[in-house]
This record gives sequence, structure tokens and C-alpha cells, in this order.
Amino acid sequence: MRALVVEDDKDLNRQLVTAMGDAGFAVDTAFDGEEGYFLGDTEPYDVVILDIGLPKMDGISILEQWRRSDRNMPVIILTARDRWSDKVTGMDAGADDYLAKPFHMEELLARVRAQVRRASGHAKSEIECGPLRLDTKSARVTFDGQQVKLTSHEFRLLAYLMHHNGRVVSRTELVEHLYDQDFDRDSNTIEVFIGRLRKKIPGDIIQTVRGLGYRLSQDGDEA
Amino acid sequence: MRRNSLAFRLFATSIAWTLLVLPLAGYLIYHLYRNDVQTSFDIQLKKLLTVLTLDSMNTLGNEPVRPNNQYEPLFEVTHSGWYWQIQPIDGAPGRRLVSPSLASETLPSPYQKKFPTDDTGTRWSNVPGPGGQSIRTLEVIDSPGHDPEKTKYSIIVAGPLDWLDMTVAKFRNRLTTALALVGLGLLGVTFVQVRFGLLPLRRIEKGLALIRSGDARKLAGRLPAEIEPLQSELNALIQSNMDVVERARTQVGNLAHALKTPLAVITNEAREDKSTFASKVAEQAAIMREQVSHYLDRARMAASAGTLGRVTPVEPTAEPLVRALERINRDKGITISMNVGQGAKFQGEKHDLEEMLGNLLDNACKWCRKRVFLTVTVTPASQGAQAMKRLAIRVEDDGRGLTPQERAKIGKRGLRLDETKPGTGLGLSIVGDLATSYRGGMRLDASPHGGLLVTLDLPAA
Repeated sequence: MRALVVEDDKDLNRQLVTAMGDAGFAVDTAFDGEEGYFLGDTEPYDVVILDIGLPKMDGISILEQWRRSDRNMPVIILTARDRWSDKVTGMDAGADDYLAKPFHMEELLARVRAQVRRASGHAKSEIECGPLRLDTKSARVTFDGQQVKLTSHEFRLLAYLMHHNGRVVSRTELVEHLYDQDFDRDSNTIEVFIGRLRKKIPGDIIQTVRGLGYRLSQDGDEA
Repeated sequence: MRRNSLAFRLFATSIAWTLLVLPLAGYLIYHLYRNDVQTSFDIQLKKLLTVLTLDSMNTLGNEPVRPNNQYEPLFEVTHSGWYWQIQPIDGAPGRRLVSPSLASETLPSPYQKKFPTDDTGTRWSNVPGPGGQSIRTLEVIDSPGHDPEKTKYSIIVAGPLDWLDMTVAKFRNRLTTALALVGLGLLGVTFVQVRFGLLPLRRIEKGLALIRSGDARKLAGRLPAEIEPLQSELNALIQSNMDVVERARTQVGNLAHALKTPLAVITNEAREDKSTFASKVAEQAAIMREQVSHYLDRARMAASAGTLGRVTPVEPTAEPLVRALERINRDKGITISMNVGQGAKFQGEKHDLEEMLGNLLDNACKWCRKRVFLTVTVTPASQGAQAMKRLAIRVEDDGRGLTPQERAKIGKRGLRLDETKPGTGLGLSIVGDLATSYRGGMRLDASPHGGLLVTLDLPAA
């Protein structure tokens, strides 16, 4: 999962990036409105955390421009202005959720997960795929009730596949959504992680669709 | 008419002036007229006396000559009030002549009573005459042929005083009637003048009422020159009042922004660290956060309560809130049924109505299962003279609701009944405080839909 954090306060930005990274996101960061707008307009993010009060370009304008050019990723706006008129303005500009400063990081993460889940069409906080279960709240994966121990890269990959478990996910899409923009993108590493995951998860759940990418199989009966 | 009013002052001064001036004028006119009538009466008596003296004493003999009566026909009519009498003084022998009107009576001689003479040598006196009338007599002493050596005669002419008094009395009655009519007329004119003159003040009164009820933002219309400065000052005051509120609000917002980001940083940093120092910092930061919210709310309320003339239509305010909350809670699939009475308007700030509705609806969305209800009705107040309309706002949900004990506890600042749901626990108490600042109130009940029913009572416009 890739996330964008747009926040001009350096400390808060760092905290957000750390927390999001720990929660299994590949995080890009921007410190002003123009940079944030550019990143959100060009990179495929699964969720954006957007401060309203930003230098160069304010959050509401950024959001409106994204929505106008059909950038429909979930956006959570973050602001000190917690009046309802501000919230309504934010929601009307196209935000998916709203969080007033100061906030608890846990609450932000809960909302981020909820938005990611909703965007990929899952209503509950647990995503199931046959015997495989992903608890988005605790970031734990179980297979037949047994916890599967994963590295953070492995977890990101599996979580992305599970969020999109109804369809084929291409390697390019995986690269785009699993690594932040500074990462050296080599799609071969994806194959390495797929291989490791297949060893940790019994059965033929992660299937390769030749020439297209990967998909998760509910019961392993399809090729 | 109230005693402490401009109308009363103008009216009272006018009445006082009229009451003082009219009788005084009446008194003066009456006396001038009376003197005038008396003078002409006296002149006539004097003329008659002169003629009689000339006619009777212009003789070479020792006896007066009977004058012929061509000057006053009433000398011929018995007891007419007009008489003359010529007789020797000091009981000396001589001819006594009288007018036929005097018949057998005698006119008393002022000379005998030792009345003083005036500067022409005549004596005046008012005496009761024959037939019971009072008469005015004029007497001169002369001798036939104006010869001081001959017997001196008293020549008296008398005219009726009753006639004089009657004429004057008649005049006085007419004068009184006329002046009374003038007085009434003046009162009427004053009344109209006061009403008409003070009409622009009525307009100001109505204009201010419009501003209070929020139908106008300034005193409109052309007012007379004297109160035009008042009008422009009032308008400037209202405008500056609005500006001050706006500035206060902006500064409060800036302060909030300035404080909240560092607080967020401190809080998050401290929660990462597990040391006792960090937990102390986290605890204190939480207190600071509470305090900041608390005083920002206070400042907002102080800034907004009591501002003149703001009116907020309810539906256009509630609708975006409902839309936003449905969007925030779309995972839960909540339906918010909105039923706002036609033309319902809140007398107060839009921001405050938004805060109240937003917090209540947000709470309802957190606790409901699927449905939230917003009902707004306008009720005319029952309490007498100032029939202020009230707004009843009901927010209900279909959740599990609260027990009466919980309802009694809730609404206290910072208290959260369920720590698992996000929120700072300030929502309901802010709503309560805001409603109170508008002289309204908040009540918690059980909703027929199962959950909590919050009723707000607010001033309507």
C-alpha cells in the first residue's frame, strides 16, 4: 500500500511517515502544497493524508484539483480548524474523512485502514480469502487460525493482494503501490517476495497468471 | 404617553405655556377693553355735562336756564339711568332743574360729600341711583353767566353703570370662549406636531427591531437632518460590531492552528516513548489540549453571543452537514432523515448552529445502527407580550440509547461513556453551552426509535 503524507510541520510529518511506515505503508512525503499536489496528481496512492493549512497551495484547492482530474484515491484531511463549517468544506471538496488536530496516531491509522479497505470494496475490518485472514486493525495475517510471521515487505505485498483479491494484479501495479518513489524499482524483487510468501503460506493460494500478474485463489481450483 | 418620553416633554411644555399665556393674555385684553369702554363712557358724560353747563349757565339772568334735551333721548325716559340735575349748592335759594327721567328723585351731590375735584374741576362718583341701578355721576360747580358773584349751582350728569358692566361682562364671556377655543386648537396642533415631528424616531425604532430580528443589517431610509448623524453612527456601530466578531473569530482560528500542530507532535512523540517522563508529557499535553479546546470554545461563544441581527436559515445549514456526515459514515450505510419546517430560521450565528447540529448529528451517527433523524419545528412562544418564536431541534438515533442514569451524567465536559468510540467527549457539553449562551437549552430523552433523543430549544427568527 502506498501512502502520501502532505504536512508542512516537519516533526508531525516525520511522525506520520514513521507511523504509516510501521503500519505497512510505503510512504511518500511532501512539505508544501505544490509538491503534494504534483505527487498526488502523478503517483498512484492508496491513501493520502492531507493537511489543510499548507504553504504555496492550500489543502482544499489541492483536493478539488485532484478530484476534478479524476484522482479518486481516499483522502483524509488533517487540520487544526475543527469547526463543522471547515469539516463540511473539506468533505464537499472531496475528502473521504476528516481528522482534527491534535489527534492520536492510532485513530489516524484506524481511519487510514478503513479508507483503504473501503476503496478496495471491503466493508469489514477483516479480509478473508479462503483459509487466509488479514486483520487490518492489528496488521496480522492468519492461515487456518495460525499466525503467519511476515517481514514488512512480505506483509505489504500480501496485504495488497488481499485487498484486491477479486482480480489479477499486475507486477507494475504491485511495484507502484508497494514502494515509495525513492525506491529502486526492480520488478524482479516482486518475484522474490512472491516466492517467499508461497513458502510461508501452504497451498496454491497465490497464483501466477501468465503475462498478466498475480491473483489470490479462494480455493485453489483454478489455474 | 409615558412620562419619560420626548412626546410627553414636548406636550407638557406646550400645555404649560398655553395655560400660562392664554389667561394672562385674556386678563390684559379684558382690562384694556374695560378701560376703553369706561373712558368713552366718561368722555360722553363729560360732553353731556359741558353741553348742559353751557346751555343752562349761558345767561345774563341770576337763574339757570332749562336746557333743551337734544343730546340724549334717554333723559326723557323715567328711570332710564341717564339723568341730569341742576340745583344751588350749600342750601342756597335758587331754581332746581332736573331731567324728566329723574322724576321726583334727587341725585346726591359729590360736592356735598366733599369729593375731591379732578384737574378740570369736576367730581366723579359711582352711586346707587333711582330704581336701584348703580350710576356714575359727574358734577361741576358753576354760576349763571359764569359769574362767581352769583349763586353757585351744582350741575350733575349721570349715566348707567349697569350698562357699562353688562357690556364688559358680555365681552369677557366672548373673550373667554374665544381664548378657550384657541387653547384647544393649540393643544390639537401640538399633538399633531409632536406625533408628526417624532415620526422619524418611530421609524428608527422599527428599523432597530428589524435589525434585532435579523431582517435588516442596517438602518435604511432617509431620516431628517437632525437624526441622520445618529443613523450613520448606529450603522457604523453595527458594522464595527460585526467586524470585531469576525476578527475575533479569525484570531481564534489562527491561535487554534498555531497551538494544535505542536500539541499533536508532542502527544505523538510522547506516546512513542515508554519512559515515565514521556508519560508525564503525554498526560500534560492531554490537559493542554483540553484547555485549548475549552477556552477556544469559550472565546467563540463570547464572540458570537449577543451579536446583533444574525439570522441563519436552518435547512441550508443542516443540509451540507447531513451530506458530509453521510459521506463520512458511508461504510456504516447510515441514513439521516431530515425534516425541517418550512422557513425555519435560527436567530444567531451560522457557525454556532453548525457546531450544535454537527456535534449532535455526529454523536447520533456514532451510536446509531442505521438511522438518524433530524426534526426542526418552529413554535410561537406562549409567554405573553414578547411573542418570541422558538426553534425546537430534535436529533434522534436508533441505537441502544442511554439509561436515565447515563443521561444524567452525560454532557459533562470530557466525559465519555464509551472510550472505544473516537471523540474527545466535548461534543454534548459544547452544544449545551452554546444553547445556553443563546438563552436556550438542551434536553436528553429516550427516542421512540430506540436511541437517544436530544432536544434543543433555541430562539427562532
